[in-house]
Amino acid sequence: MSTISFQLSATSPGPRIGTLRLTRPDGTVLSLKTPGIVTATSRGVVPHLSPDLCAQTKAVRWVHVAFESFLDHDPPVPTLLTGQNRALARFLGHPHSAILSLSLRDPGDIRTMPPNGDAHVSANCIRGVRKVTPENWRSYGQSCDPDIIFALTDTPFTPPPYSQKRLTKSVERSLAWVADILRSDSPARNVFVQMAGGTEPAARAAFSEGLGARLYDKEAEAVKPLKTLDEGVAGYSIDLGPLRTTLGDRLLHHSKLAAVLVPDTIETADLTQSTEALIKLVGASLQSLPQSRPRLVNSCTGPHEILKIVKDVGADLFDAAWAQRAADIGIAMEFHFPVPDHHRDGADKLAIGYNLYDHVYAHDFRSLCETDSATVLSTPLQHSSVDSPPTMIPASPFTRAYLHHLLHTHEMSSHALLTAHNLSVLAAFFAGIQGIVSSDSERVLFAKEVEVFCDVYDVSSVLFDEALKAWAGVELARGKGRLGREKVVGAE
Amino acid sequence: MQFEVLATCHTTKARVSRMTLAHGVTALPTFMPVATQAAIKGLTPQQVESLGITLILNNTYHLNLRPGTKILKEAGGAHKFQGWNHNLLTDSGGFQLVSLSKFTKITEEGALFSSPFTGEPTMLTPEESMSIQHAIGADIMMQLDDVVPSLTTGPRVAEAMARSVRWLDRCIEFHEKSGRKDVQNLFAIVQGGLDPELRDQCLDEMTKRKDGVAGYAIGGLSGGEAKDTFWRIVKQCADKLPADRPRYCMGVGFAEDLLVCAALGVDMADCVFPTRTARFGVALTFRGAMNLKLSKYATDLTPIDQNCPCPTCKGGTTRAMLHHIVTLETVAAHAVTMHNLTFQAQVMGGARDAIMQGTFPAYLHKFFDNYFGDVGYPEWCVNALRSVGVDLLEGKENAKVIPGDGGNWDYSNPKKQ
Ligand SMILES: [Zn+2]
Repeated sequence: MSTISFQLSATSPGPRIGTLRLTRPDGTVLSLKTPGIVTATSRGVVPHLSPDLCAQTKAVRWVHVAFESFLDHDPPVPTLLTGQNRALARFLGHPHSAILSLSLRDPGDIRTMPPNGDAHVSANCIRGVRKVTPENWRSYGQSCDPDIIFALTDTPFTPPPYSQKRLTKSVERSLAWVADILRSDSPARNVFVQMAGGTEPAARAAFSEGLGARLYDKEAEAVKPLKTLDEGVAGYSIDLGPLRTTLGDRLLHHSKLAAVLVPDTIETADLTQSTEALIKLVGASLQSLPQSRPRLVNSCTGPHEILKIVKDVGADLFDAAWAQRAADIGIAMEFHFPVPDHHRDGADKLAIGYNLYDHVYAHDFRSLCETDSATVLSTPLQHSSVDSPPTMIPASPFTRAYLHHLLHTHEMSSHALLTAHNLSVLAAFFAGIQGIVSSDSERVLFAKEVEVFCDVYDVSSVLFDEALKAWAGVELARGKGRLGREKVVGAE
Repeated sequence: MQFEVLATCHTTKARVSRMTLAHGVTALPTFMPVATQAAIKGLTPQQVESLGITLILNNTYHLNLRPGTKILKEAGGAHKFQGWNHNLLTDSGGFQLVSLSKFTKITEEGALFSSPFTGEPTMLTPEESMSIQHAIGADIMMQLDDVVPSLTTGPRVAEAMARSVRWLDRCIEFHEKSGRKDVQNLFAIVQGGLDPELRDQCLDEMTKRKDGVAGYAIGGLSGGEAKDTFWRIVKQCADKLPADRPRYCMGVGFAEDLLVCAALGVDMADCVFPTRTARFGVALTFRGAMNLKLSKYATDLTPIDQNCPCPTCKGGTTRAMLHHIVTLETVAAHAVTMHNLTFQAQVMGGARDAIMQGTFPAYLHKFFDNYFGDVGYPEWCVNALRSVGVDLLEGKENAKVIPGDGGNWDYSNPKKQ
């Protein structure tokens, strides 16, 4: 039932590159190289990128949508398109050329939630909590026709810690829900499975073993001809968000935070403070599973953590939520892998981006980034026969001074430009990883380059902390009236 | 500036012209979207360009505060700063000064206000306004005028009108000496409140100065005056302004207002309305405004307007989809903004074609029938268009007519759906 083929460069643990090909029922084949990006969405759309801009942003090759925001309407509106190919993607206006994956819950949402039940997951929408049963989920999936669907999973979002019993139940329910979506009477296409088991390595291993275990009797009958659940699975995903919460790692810039909740002082943290622990947990999940399926990791903190996971675990896809969130708070990403020669011997650590709220950028007319691909020139509309012949004038890249101005004047265009920029920087970063891994038969070079990267680029949260404070400052001052803010910020 | 009238309507005072400025050609009549702080809310300059828009407005008051003329000069002007390669118009800064500053006192020298940075008394003179607009580098600059609220009566209106004429002289003189006359163009602003006598005096004085100005704006309106007064003043000004200069009616953006103004001989107009209303989820269509927040759109799987060429409608974005994200995701604002700006451009582009083809009266009939046929024709529109030979009610015995300021609805609570 999987229409995904995944060709890997290596089948041993460690860094790997691959080509993922997804074939749609209409015969369209989408192909992408890994490691690569999954673009995060909010209410189904890539924040700040209108469909036309989204289609022009080459880095957007795969969008992940959480279904839960549609539960505010009954029946959920996208299900009204039942019977159409790519119904949800069409509804949302996502480009034909991008893979669309669908899960019930937003992998980046780590808010406390009411408990799940044996036959439902508690999901969140603007009108409150909604219970979604496996049967609901199958039917939503069939209506929406995503390229990839995530099986329901029982991740507890009640406050940690979680008892042994709770984790056992989580593993059992999650396995049952994988079996449900693979039922042979209404099989879903391209099922991804979130690795359950929480922060307990044994529980994670038990979930994976359950996936690979031979099925008998009724269980086998329900999913025939599959001999194991894993046979029907197209890929694995690991959500680091809830694991990080359980480990007590509360980095502020991860999720959307109301401006009033941003503290005046934020203690600088190490963005990789939990990475080693997380890698062990990911390893526990993947140990007994075949190497050959794509592995998606959600909610990394930044490039350092991504590189370490690529190096030690061999993950293939990473969500871009952290870089997209950075665009919300005025950060333009700028980091390269491998580290360019001229940055290798610097005495000071480099930041992985810059906070464009900072007044040092007021007079900085360097472009946002030299690597930004030129925007696609479309033909402008013509509104009358006397209009000049439509031609687009190629644009010069946007300067940091302009972005600085837009951020301080609370102009939304800044976030659109930064989102496109940050996704492009991230795509170039992954292309760099692919290049090193492909040329590295010994696996030594990659490890060395990761070390260089971690030496050169600052791994502290200070960039995010400063930007978050500056963003909150401008947001809050808006309520006080423009002139009041001028006095406060008017140091320029 | 090169200004060439290509066609005039055989019935109304409407005309099509071609205005060539340092950053290209703009066909008139046109609507100018407002990019207050050097950005059309949420859009990139390329998106605006792709909509077929060739002339936008920046606000001098705002750009002078931020980023300030120093940075604009370093950038090489506002065009380069915001990455906009087409035409640009700036206001004088005076209007916002009066409406946004806590303390403003008008003297003969200029407008005295307290600096928003330091609180110190600061003076915006006609020369200073010109100097700021020179730094911005707009293709069209507006003179500093003495702005009084539209509803003001009494001697203050006459004083403001006379002072605006004197300040025009100072603007002309400053601009003449600036060496920028070949790349930037100065427009005068006709004042005189709602008093036809004062308007006439102002028109007489300002048309005498025609050699020093590239175009004329009709100021002091769109400030809450009765619509019936509004159109009469517009008509009076348009009738008297020289035919070989573009005429710009400030602060006008409702489709019906735009078409009435065009019929009265106005060539340009600007307003924040279409972009602002988009952010509240209101889409403009040829059948009236559509508030996408209303629950009836939650399951409506059609585009805002099937025939609209904007990226939102053409891309198949449905009303239901926009309802799902409206006011919650900035993407909704961007999508509706692109649609609304395209709608404005289509209304005006359609007018240009109709004037060229000699079918403008029919175009007016069709527009008003679609837009108001169900809810009733605003009486002021009927009167205004009758004054230029078009009777909207012709052949419609049972047509509903709405007295007063019908059609001038509040964007947050549209009457029409
Ligand atoms: Zn449209």
